[in-house]
Amino acid sequence: MLSLPLFRHALRGAGLLLALPALAAEPTLDPVWRDISESRSHLALLQAERAAKSGSRAALLARAAATLDDQPVTDERLRATEAQLADLARGDDELAAQAAYLQARIWQTHLSQPDYARAAGLFRALAERQPQSRWAQLGLVKLGLLHLYALPEPGDPEARHAAAEALLARLTEPALQRDLHLQLGLAGIFHCRPLGEVLEHLLAADRIGGVPGIAGEDLIVQLGELSLRAGQYAQARRYFDRYLDEYPTSGRCFTIRARLRELAAREAAAGGRQP
Amino acid sequence: MKTALRARLGLGFILLCYATATWWVLTRSSPLVRERPVTIRIAHWQIEAGPPDGLDAVIRRYEELNPRVKVEQQLVPGVVYKQWLRSNLAGGTGADIIEWGPWIEGVRDVPARYFEPVTAALAEPNPYNRGTPLANVPWQQTFKDGLAGQRFDSPDPGEIFGVTLTEVSVRLFCNRELLREITGATRVPQTFGDLRKIFAQLDAYNLRSGRPPVMALAGARDNNEWLLQYLLMDTTLGLNFSLDDPGALALANRQLLAAYLEGRWRWSRPEVKAGLELMREIARHMKPGFQQLSRDEATREFLHGDALFIFTGTWDATSLRRLASFNIDALRFPQPTPDDPVVGRYLIGRFADGGGVTAMAMHLNKASPHRAEALDFMRFMTSVEGAQLFTDRSGWLPATTNVRIAPEIESFTSPQDGYALCNPYVIIGSNVTLQYTRHMHLYLGEHGDVDRFTAVLDEAMPTAVRADLQSELRSLEQTIRSQDGRTLALARLGGAPAAQRRAVMEGGQTISEGLALQMRAQLEKFRLER
Repeated sequence: MLSLPLFRHALRGAGLLLALPALAAEPTLDPVWRDISESRSHLALLQAERAAKSGSRAALLARAAATLDDQPVTDERLRATEAQLADLARGDDELAAQAAYLQARIWQTHLSQPDYARAAGLFRALAERQPQSRWAQLGLVKLGLLHLYALPEPGDPEARHAAAEALLARLTEPALQRDLHLQLGLAGIFHCRPLGEVLEHLLAADRIGGVPGIAGEDLIVQLGELSLRAGQYAQARRYFDRYLDEYPTSGRCFTIRARLRELAAREAAAGGRQP
Repeated sequence: MKTALRARLGLGFILLCYATATWWVLTRSSPLVRERPVTIRIAHWQIEAGPPDGLDAVIRRYEELNPRVKVEQQLVPGVVYKQWLRSNLAGGTGADIIEWGPWIEGVRDVPARYFEPVTAALAEPNPYNRGTPLANVPWQQTFKDGLAGQRFDSPDPGEIFGVTLTEVSVRLFCNRELLREITGATRVPQTFGDLRKIFAQLDAYNLRSGRPPVMALAGARDNNEWLLQYLLMDTTLGLNFSLDDPGALALANRQLLAAYLEGRWRWSRPEVKAGLELMREIARHMKPGFQQLSRDEATREFLHGDALFIFTGTWDATSLRRLASFNIDALRFPQPTPDDPVVGRYLIGRFADGGGVTAMAMHLNKASPHRAEALDFMRFMTSVEGAQLFTDRSGWLPATTNVRIAPEIESFTSPQDGYALCNPYVIIGSNVTLQYTRHMHLYLGEHGDVDRFTAVLDEAMPTAVRADLQSELRSLEQTIRSQDGRTLALARLGGAPAAQRRAVMEGGQTISEGLALQMRAQLEKFRLER
């Protein structure tokens, strides 16, 4: 039989044994965020759920973020996550802004039936509460997309573009301005807006620079081609030449050289001379 | 007393053992884990002669340089690749490195779901290029096309998912000895008109030779499909330019699908029918019933000397050359000229027959337990040394620059001498391909008729096109959704590398969302109009 003092010793020892892993554990949520960033959602969620027991807002946010991509993704789980994010969004710090952004995104892109109006309302509210927050401004870019394509009102393309353009003035970060300019330009093509208006936005995006991936390469070609269509020959030549310089091995180079020959012919015709 | 002392000693001993074990695990096991041997698997469908040998050579050299890592090739036949891919990825048993291509029907969602982007790694020089002219060149720029195809087909505009091993083109492979026997010379056709003359000479040869008839082209379903894509690229160039609203001088499948829904093109358009007429003309010089045959059958027909030409990609070149008992020339397919009676009026110029885009793209499996080792192998196999080993042993062109090309495969390279605004109308979506394949006997059979075929297609295609556009949209939205949590995670992690990845991801996500919303609007509009 175990005596009382010995039992107490055993308890202390057991407590020490149990505490050691906790003492050795990494105190931050970095492993959780890393797993989320590398698409190991389920692993991230297991860790986040353990951390969330502490009740820390950061851990609760991590848990919500990990849930978004953890299979099976169901509307039921998303709505529960949305409610948790709504709680976290009550505040005026960076974490609250991040939570509010994710909350809006659930309505915009994650639920099986998006609710664009609700997402738009949440983006607007975030931008009102924290206008300088990067997350609020990123939300304005997403709101711009909703204006351009998805919100029922305003219905006509001109009003859609006006509503999205009005958001530009509220963006302070160049990359976000660039992204919204690019979307205004591409939406302008989709909605058959005047070429001059389209070019204005695409040029603005190019001036800021850094459009990622193939879209950046496409942009240079588009500026050349659309300038040609708009009769802005000098600008067209500038962009075609730039493309040949920056992407000399691209399969599009042959077409662009043909375009340059066509451009020369048009310039000559405009000047009343032979090319 | 004694009992209490023994108990204390016992407890103390347990605690000491635990502390020792903890210390050992925390300080001794991680280096041991890092040094343990690792096996990574690379899976692909290139089981024809050439690539497995090329990769074997690369693997042997890699294992010499990295004795801890063993690399195994998994050769998966093309006919089951799609099913193999889906079931293994879903079950978590996929290889560490996996070949994938955007033209494989029904698996366009795979990169977003299962592959890890390698964009960040591509921005750095490839360490395996030390001591070569590419030592300080970012890995992405060491590929002949800067991975243009990977960027164009990326489900996520800002990210690159695959690295490539080779460059392919389509060629008309010719049995040189048989050509001399039939025409009396080895002069190869330069134009489609020249090819027609050879068809006529072949008919005469078959009458006088006394041997079983020789067909002009080896026939099979796959070879026919490749040839039709080729011919349609020529006749539809003008159509493509007219559909290029954004002015990018390139068209994605989703744009063609949407344009079809909007009624801007139909299979019954004259320039599409012209390409089909030309295909029908060529098909008369293929073995009857070729639509039922696979490309292996066409290869056998050519190697037996029963067909003068075979139209196929340079991916079959090594197999052909190793197995043939005759000399084979790889010719650029003679393109029709503006005076061609069938298609001349629709032509605006030469089109690019090589694409200028590298191929055999290998992707990093997100679920790989050895991602670091797999990525390292991907670097080696695409380095100058790795690529040289690959091309020397496989007989395939390398995708990496600064690699010597053997004289016998120099003809596989395609100069930039044609328009690249071409689209493979037959494979712009899996449902579109299914409808084409299901009905192609209507125009290729003995009593075939292009008008009847295109009328049937245009009846069936609206539903097929819509389904394919929905599939493109689903795949894109899957990518978009997965990026919200990741973007936040990168922001929470902080630091320059995470910030850079986040910037690319955010910009790419917004671009993807714009495209997705356009597709939604197009699908909605079509639904309303029906």
